[in-house]
Amino acid sequence: MNKVLKTAKSCRHYAMCKIDFLGSGLCAPGAEKHYVCFYPQGRMDLYAALAEGRIPVTEKCVEIADSCDLCGKCDYQCYFVTEMKPSAVMKALKEHIALHLKSGGEVVAAEKGSILDGLKKIVGEYWATNDRAVALTYAHDPCPVAAPRLPAYVVMPDSAAQVAAVVKLLNRRHIPYAVRGNGSSVMGFVMSEGAVIDMGRMKTIVFDEKNWLVQVGAGVAAFDLQKAALERGLRVNVAEPAALVCANIMCSGIFSTFSASYGTAADNYIDAEFVGPDGSVFRLSDPAAPNLFGFRREDAPLPGICTSASVRLHPVMVDESAVFVPFTSLEGALDFSRECAMRRIGLAIGVLGGEYISTFLSPTKKLALEVKNAFLDKLKIAYLVLVIGDAYALRAIREMGHHGFDSRLIRILNLGLPSLTSAKWLDLISELADEEPFSYLGLPHFADLAEAALMPSAAQLVRDVDPELRPFFEKLYAKSEMTDPLWLNMFRIVSTRMGREKHALAMIIYLPIDKQLIAAIDDGFRSIADRHGLKNDFGFITPLDNGKRCVFEYDYYLDQNDADEKMKMGQALMEAGMMIEKFAATTGTVTWIRYVFRQGFSRKESFLYQGAGVNE
Amino acid sequence: MNRGDATVGGSYMLTGATGFLGSHVMAGLLNKGERVVIVGRPAGRESLAERIRRLLGWFGIKHCEEQLEFHEIDFLKPRLGLGADDYERLRRRGLPIIHCASDTSFAEKKRTKVMRSNVESLNELLNFAEQSRTSYFHLVSSAYAAGTDSRECPEALVNSKHFNNVYEESKAQAEDIVSARCRKEQIPHTIIRPSIVYGDSLTGRSLRFNALYFPVRSMQQIRDIYLDEIKSNHGIKSAECGIHLDYEGVLHLPVRIFIPNGGKINLIPVNYFTETVLSILENPLNETIYHVTSNHPQSMAGLASYTERFLKISGIEVVIGTAASEKMRNPPEELFDHFIKAYRPYISDQRIFKRENTDRATGGILPPDFSYEIFQRCMAFAVSADWGKKLFFD
Repeated sequence: MNKVLKTAKSCRHYAMCKIDFLGSGLCAPGAEKHYVCFYPQGRMDLYAALAEGRIPVTEKCVEIADSCDLCGKCDYQCYFVTEMKPSAVMKALKEHIALHLKSGGEVVAAEKGSILDGLKKIVGEYWATNDRAVALTYAHDPCPVAAPRLPAYVVMPDSAAQVAAVVKLLNRRHIPYAVRGNGSSVMGFVMSEGAVIDMGRMKTIVFDEKNWLVQVGAGVAAFDLQKAALERGLRVNVAEPAALVCANIMCSGIFSTFSASYGTAADNYIDAEFVGPDGSVFRLSDPAAPNLFGFRREDAPLPGICTSASVRLHPVMVDESAVFVPFTSLEGALDFSRECAMRRIGLAIGVLGGEYISTFLSPTKKLALEVKNAFLDKLKIAYLVLVIGDAYALRAIREMGHHGFDSRLIRILNLGLPSLTSAKWLDLISELADEEPFSYLGLPHFADLAEAALMPSAAQLVRDVDPELRPFFEKLYAKSEMTDPLWLNMFRIVSTRMGREKHALAMIIYLPIDKQLIAAIDDGFRSIADRHGLKNDFGFITPLDNGKRCVFEYDYYLDQNDADEKMKMGQALMEAGMMIEKFAATTGTVTWIRYVFRQGFSRKESFLYQGAGVNE
Repeated sequence: MNRGDATVGGSYMLTGATGFLGSHVMAGLLNKGERVVIVGRPAGRESLAERIRRLLGWFGIKHCEEQLEFHEIDFLKPRLGLGADDYERLRRRGLPIIHCASDTSFAEKKRTKVMRSNVESLNELLNFAEQSRTSYFHLVSSAYAAGTDSRECPEALVNSKHFNNVYEESKAQAEDIVSARCRKEQIPHTIIRPSIVYGDSLTGRSLRFNALYFPVRSMQQIRDIYLDEIKSNHGIKSAECGIHLDYEGVLHLPVRIFIPNGGKINLIPVNYFTETVLSILENPLNETIYHVTSNHPQSMAGLASYTERFLKISGIEVVIGTAASEKMRNPPEELFDHFIKAYRPYISDQRIFKRENTDRATGGILPPDFSYEIFQRCMAFAVSADWGKKLFFD
């Protein structure tokens, strides 16, 4: 496989090219035409299919290729996340089409039909298509257990009324459909042989600050909503930056490290608008509306299409900041996070693996690898607990006797990461670590010393970045928010780097913060993946409901282009699922996120606790 | 066998042979032509024999390996973890035992581990000593087992109730246990108490780089941070702390070292320690305690001056007392203080160690005064060995 095709086939479908998370501007055709095929993500899939002869050149192929002006913005975005440069694929796509046209190759026109006509009548001529080039880019995701399904139609409504009309038409014609946010479900939920309804045009954001809510259209991505909220001095609880907020609530309920105080699932919204399976429009606040607050412990059907949600707004205090408290063991980290949650200290709490700083904050895989040992072996950081809070919360943590990496120190470490590899003074800290781990963090002037020792600078941080992109990244890292842990955790752009090396699949469960139970499940996840030779790692744990429960993510990784690894992953996922079910049965306190899928509007209490109304 | 004879069949049983002091005792005995039975633990995948062979190479005495015998044991297990036959064979030999094995951690959080290594582990070893009717039991302890209750420290069992750390406390307890048990079982025994042991005063070579070395190494690392900063960053951060390079290339590094009182640091070179131990082994006196210490301990100001000269820095100031305010301290001063915190009791130590027994055993031979030449030799070796990292790669 040549390098360009390999890049094309390695797109993780994280949709990070669909949000302007670096301030470098969006892919213009994507922003205008909305179909995923006009974004770099879709173009990657399209080029791979054309190069492998899986589809013919269609009319849309020509439009897609023509629309790209090779501006290179996608390189900035994709390199930040995966270290790939998609512009080579964009160029290859244009060349492929140009060569095809030059050699007199056929351009396949979309088939006409009454269903397509009906859909176009509802959403407008441009916003429904059966062109195979468009359909192909909605046909798969990197999940190893979801087989590709080429949809017959792709529809892009821009209002609840249009969604309702589309649903009614599809029902009448007995055409199955799937609803798509930004297509990052990675579990095959957004694919259908019938129609895919892409909600990407419904980008309304209307703030109602008097009522502490923001009405969010189904096409609004988490990053864009958070950005709009922050401009007003407010915050929303959102998850992955490119995930569409409504789809995210529907899929699994939103959980983030801020869920420690803002909650999850029904805690995150005030009301929502739906189109039901029959095409009727309803609001959750209507007394006669279907009860989506309830929860059934089973694989649930889609209760409807969320067309908008009134999402809760939260205040942002001027003295908020972040601290990462290091621990040598998971047990210590869990004790601390639980105590913070129970004492209601901090807004966001997350137990993170020790590689957090090296993996997430390093702009390249090479640097991440180089500095990994500095954190694990020299600084003895096995786990970190991130706490975001106001000055009172952070003071309370110090008074609890914990020292951590504060925002300033994180910025110094981040911009000085390359110097860590040669920092001999870390050896002394390492030798002291056995006696008094992390005591150096309590030194009042440690940050000053670290600043002198690491000589942090954006230029230093990007020294290994691709030379073509280095000037851009140097300017980028000179921006304060790019090394501000508070900002980074609100927008979650660096955590997407977990998929830089390989595609990540998250195992997510809800359970009590029980050290023995968590250790046993952590061991179980690890041993299953190890047995199958799969890369795996602790993801994160965030306390929920004041520390009575938590959400635990463990990650498996695979090369999405490696058939053998995909097979192993399928087996590992099955075994991990069986293990979760076993723990759920024996403890009565463990809930697999599988059962929350499509029930994310429910009350968290319904799935965190086995109380009344829960079906066994 | 005659109980009370120094050796039986020219052999000794030695614990802690992979440690700093134990390895030098081992080398000293081998150089004298003695046979040594090494008992100890493997470390990870490396067997006890492999560890010892590496040390023989370092000492340049690989040819002495035939004088050695190895037994991997566990001090905390019945019969020292040996099989019944092995135990019986070893027991029958009634070898004199030199017990050097020790956990030298000062950290209170490691109390359980330190007590287990230094105190609890004695039980099985003393059972063995009793059952083997050993000719002598020599406990290598520490001068600092004396505790902090009295400045005058005689060569006698400890009465102190206060210690600087768990290490000192464990050593005092170990002495009590050995003394009581040996008396009860009529096992001849000695207790050997060295002060702070550094490398060989003649060659500068050393296997361990803590104690004396750690503050010097700390200062070197801090110096290098600021030298790099001056070189690569125009010394912006250095200037904030008053750090600069003078015209002779000496780094002015204003660091105050606060010590609680005007005491000194009691240092002896490892070659002196070894010679003294060998003298004691040749002619031990039952129930005798030996202080292997210096009558001329070094002042911290003197050490600071040596360090400045060696590292080409200036600005170190030794201050008796404590810093008035943490905020008034500069980052290098604060870090240095943090690095040497555990050693602070030993760099301003006011204890005076009597050493009549040792003088009798050695014919009054004293350790050399700690001159700059010795300091320079030892530190140059330490730097060449990258403070222990390149010890076995030459």
